[in-house]
Amino acid sequence: MCHRVIVAVQREIEAKGIPTVLITVVPEESRMMRPPRAVHPKGHKLGRVLGAAGERDKQMRVLTEALRQFEFQHVPGTVIDFEP
Amino acid sequence: MALQSFMSRKCVPYTPVTSHLKDLTVALVSSSGVYMEGQEPFTENGDESYRVIPAEATVSQLRFKHGHYDTSDAEKDPNVIFPLGLLHDLAREGFIKKVSNKHIGCKGFSTDLKAQYERLAPAIAHEIERSQADAVVLTGG
Repeated sequence: MCHRVIVAVQREIEAKGIPTVLITVVPEESRMMRPPRAVHPKGHKLGRVLGAAGERDKQMRVLTEALRQFEFQHVPGTVIDFEP
Repeated sequence: MALQSFMSRKCVPYTPVTSHLKDLTVALVSSSGVYMEGQEPFTENGDESYRVIPAEATVSQLRFKHGHYDTSDAEKDPNVIFPLGLLHDLAREGFIKKVSNKHIGCKGFSTDLKAQYERLAPAIAHEIERSQADAVVLTGG
């Protein structure tokens, strides 16, 4: 449910005119809520959304992939899966 | 009025980005139960509150209280779910312009889902609107 609520929050922020991107590890739940922009690092789990503790390079790849969604026209309401 | 109460999920709010990444001030919003040392932790059960994490917060001051996921990695390294440290690194490298002056932590769980949609989500959006942020990265707990 927390993953649904965070998309509700995301949609409210986006509707204020501030672009947003969600990093989700529960893409099936997130897709149902139609996030403005979202990425799903494949294989990542709850509590390790960007990677495990100390996996700085992997965490950074996930964060930069999320931020790069601001650089092109993301199809609203979709979640982009990627291998981190 | 809260967005969710009148907007169908079929309709997706979308704000085009008109600036380059290097010109964006970025905030974090997370339902990971993140809060700052000295602030009140989230409750064991449903919690409709949120915490404002100020710009001056250091990564070592971040705490996590959730109950629906294992927070042990987050306690060792908050970047696993609330990448404030990484965002500061990206600002130093010039990948983004700046880290925002305000970030938001919440638990995002309550038996009163309506309250989350109609009160929590708009309240957080209002906080962000009044901050320096011109882009937001969100993570779920």
